[in-house]
Amino acid sequence: MAAHNDPLAHPEVRQGSVLRYVLGFIASGAAMYFAYVEALGKPPVVELLEILAGALLFSLLTQAALFFGLDISRAQIWKSVSLILTVPLFIIMIGITVWAFASLYNRTMPDPAIMNSMAM
Amino acid sequence: MQVAVDGPWTPLLGRLSLEAIPYTNPILIFTFAIAAIVGLVVVGSVLYFKKVGYIWREWLCSVDHKRIGVMYIILGLVMLFRGFIDGVMIRTQQAIAIGPNSPGYLGAAHGYLPPYHFDQIYSAHGTIMLIFAATPLLTGLGNVIVPLQVGARDMAFPYLNAVSLWLTVAGALLCMISLFVGEFSNATWVGLMPFAEMSSNPGVGVDYWMWALQVSSLGTTFNSINMIATIVKMRAPGMGWFRVPVFTWATMATAIIGLTAFPVLTAALCMLGLDRYVGTHFFTAGMGGNYMLYINLFWTWGHPEVYFLMLPAFGLISEIVSTFSSKALFGYPTMIAASLGIAGVGWVVWAHHFFTMGMGPNLIGFFSAATMIVGIPTGVKAFNWIFTMYRGRITLATPMLWAITAIVLLLLGGITGMMLSASVVDYTVHDSVFVVAHFHCMVLVIGAGIFAAVTYWWPKVFGFKLNETLGQWFFWTFVLASVLVFIPMFQAGLDGETRRLDYLFDTSLRPLMLAEVTGMGMYFVSLFCFLAMLVVSLVKREPAGQDPWGTARSLEWLTHTPVPFYNFAVTPQVHALDELAWRRANGLEKAQPERYVPIHMPSSSGLPFIIGMLSFVCTFALVWRIWWLAGASLLAVILLVIIRSFDKNEGYVLSADTIAEMERKLHTVSLIAEQSKVLPVGGQVEAH
Amino acid sequence: MASHTQAGADVVLWNASADAHDNISARTYGFWLYLLSDALIIAAVVACYAVLDNPLNAAGGPLGNQFLSASKGLVQTFLVLGSVLSYSLATVALKRGNKLGVGLGMVGAILLAVLFLGIGMGDLAALSAAGNGFARSGYLSCFFTLIVTHALHMGFGILWMLVMLVQIGVFGFTENVVARLLNLRMFWQFQASVWVVVYIYVYLFGGAH
Repeated sequence: MAAHNDPLAHPEVRQGSVLRYVLGFIASGAAMYFAYVEALGKPPVVELLEILAGALLFSLLTQAALFFGLDISRAQIWKSVSLILTVPLFIIMIGITVWAFASLYNRTMPDPAIMNSMAM
Repeated sequence: MQVAVDGPWTPLLGRLSLEAIPYTNPILIFTFAIAAIVGLVVVGSVLYFKKVGYIWREWLCSVDHKRIGVMYIILGLVMLFRGFIDGVMIRTQQAIAIGPNSPGYLGAAHGYLPPYHFDQIYSAHGTIMLIFAATPLLTGLGNVIVPLQVGARDMAFPYLNAVSLWLTVAGALLCMISLFVGEFSNATWVGLMPFAEMSSNPGVGVDYWMWALQVSSLGTTFNSINMIATIVKMRAPGMGWFRVPVFTWATMATAIIGLTAFPVLTAALCMLGLDRYVGTHFFTAGMGGNYMLYINLFWTWGHPEVYFLMLPAFGLISEIVSTFSSKALFGYPTMIAASLGIAGVGWVVWAHHFFTMGMGPNLIGFFSAATMIVGIPTGVKAFNWIFTMYRGRITLATPMLWAITAIVLLLLGGITGMMLSASVVDYTVHDSVFVVAHFHCMVLVIGAGIFAAVTYWWPKVFGFKLNETLGQWFFWTFVLASVLVFIPMFQAGLDGETRRLDYLFDTSLRPLMLAEVTGMGMYFVSLFCFLAMLVVSLVKREPAGQDPWGTARSLEWLTHTPVPFYNFAVTPQVHALDELAWRRANGLEKAQPERYVPIHMPSSSGLPFIIGMLSFVCTFALVWRIWWLAGASLLAVILLVIIRSFDKNEGYVLSADTIAEMERKLHTVSLIAEQSKVLPVGGQVEAH
Repeated sequence: MASHTQAGADVVLWNASADAHDNISARTYGFWLYLLSDALIIAAVVACYAVLDNPLNAAGGPLGNQFLSASKGLVQTFLVLGSVLSYSLATVALKRGNKLGVGLGMVGAILLAVLFLGIGMGDLAALSAAGNGFARSGYLSCFFTLIVTHALHMGFGILWMLVMLVQIGVFGFTENVVARLLNLRMFWQFQASVWVVVYIYVYLFGGAH
């Protein structure tokens, strides 16, 4: 029975590796540093959004692959599947909420710039 | 830091004082008297029959999934009764208060309930029916059935399972105690912002509602984790994904919703809590708050929550239709796809609850179309059930009657739902009782599914069948009552009756109100039939065999009736989607294992119960702002979890000899049951 | 009926060896599911932040671009990533059953986390002292909530690590302890991922200087 096996022989213990973790640290750290440098340059909003989204995606992917060790092996497949099924929900919830309220503000709220000029 | 509260506050008791007890309200005094008598009878009989130790050891400390499931169902039925009484009060109030100038009694402006009390009643009705009746009933059924259907010994995390149960109970207790200490929310079950904020609602009602929802939704999230892990990791050997029974698939889809949607509610309620307790400005009307943000978050959870309740009911109906048609389910893969499809699409329809917010035509179009798309997988399910019945050998036993009714109700509720998904229609009937009638048709589908399932699986859990005659009486009176209450409500809604109003504005709708209140009376008759069914069946106790319906198809009917605590003496090897039907076709349904191996079982533990009760104390203290008590009980919960992690008890092992002995006894019992087997009504056992 | 059984006589009906479930993977999978639901809590707060990050919701108070420091945030980011690396190296020591290695890795993770929390909480305290506390505006309420939610995760992780340090000493590497160490690793990595999202979105996209 599994209970009598050596827990240290479990595949999830075995997958730990110095090389992978150090690589993960360097990769996601470099992505952060790159994003920092680029953002300080104050590019136009659309460009900034692309750079930051790219850096974030790269950083999260390296963390998933190198730190979490997600892959399609028997030990990890269900974690990967669950994550892939959940990611659209993050996008749906944040995306649609932002869309809905941007639209709502456009339609119902006064422009703050105009409001400020009226106050003055 | 802390928000100033109306009225006195003392460090020892917070806002709690004698004035919190509503001893001047005759309705509540009457309720309290009834509750006290029932409570005394229950406690007294437990003491009289010296069952305290038994109940503590075998039930409150149990980590057995069947016991936990049964306790969930009992909780659900008790809360269903409470919600039903709330519904009766809403209906009678509106039937009495016809027209703005109608007289008032007991200090009310119209009818017999003052508006403030009436608001609390419908808020409690919605909260209780969805969160504390339907959810525990379905979770309980899932708890009982799913591990048996996948051939597991228990859930993946039996201890966590008990914690989930007792957190739900803590929420329900909070809801109940608000009747007698303080008040309940008057801001609807949704919690309308900024009305539920401290500025407009300084009482403890909203706090009660908020914490009850919060603590029970925590329990539901844990339960969903448990269900997914059980289905993914604990299936019997041979059970590939396309051999998983359809109810288990439905539970999987529902658990995915539970896992992903409930956290959003948790977050929304936390923010509301911060607003009410420390004075942040998430949902306030000024200071940069945005109250529609709450409605948005709430329905981001709220709509998936509807499917969270709907999908297991669909699963239950699928199992029952197939069993009582003596036929494999039609279109099993499409059924699974439909369940998962509903769960997925259910995540992008939430804004149809507030089309009138003013978000613009693009978004309304998006949500309107997404809502209509839900009709496709639902339609697939309805047709699959009909095709399952087509050319099947149908037995009209009580569960089947409920299942067929559920299909009809689904049609009615579904078509009105399609009407509402068109935003032009929605703008017209928004907040009218047409919407109320629509979603009551849908939750009656859930109700019918639950009653079908309780009748169907009852013998598996308790070892005897429910009385068929009284079951049919219960069924027919319930259906008649539902027709009387909800069909006129559609008409009243189209005629312009608004929801949540304590009197009827348009006096010409009086006949419809009278029909509805007659229906409520009919519900009382059906309630009586239900109780009579329980009592008569308990007294008669006709033993049921391993497969009391004769045509059951899935794995849970393979083991003994009632199910021994270890479920299966030896884990079955699965060969087909409908394993029992497969074994029956091959003449193997009576085969017993030749040898037994030791079984590892989890020990029972009182900690989950204690954690649940401490959560109740903590949330109660938070409602009344008794900071020391809230802090102490929260600390106690954390310490208990840490202490438990140092516990070395890893369960116990049942030896092969013990199992052999128990199995021999159980086998004798089921042989006796087989010989005295009572045929289902209208059922014919064909000689094979 | 039994006379024309389709299945052969050698069909296996019961599987006595099926009880040997892999407890560790069941537990890490269950915990992974919990993390996904936790991530949705964070996503809900981020969705609120995205809506409230608007001059209308600042109610005359400051927005993030007026008080956030991108370079300080970068230091915090590297502290978090370093802490995660330290704990991850501890789980490499776990492979060899090296108690000292695991303990040192955890202590390193705790120290870096405490440093991070010190910087973060100090910023919030300074902000409050300047009259821009969480009750100032809808925007600041959400900003504080987002930062404190992450900090609470960190605090909980630190408490968990302290408990695990004791348990390694008391029990050694039993099945329970190993499962908890693996779960804790995922939890610790999870809070780092959350911080990365916060840094990119709140700090850099929010226009910190």
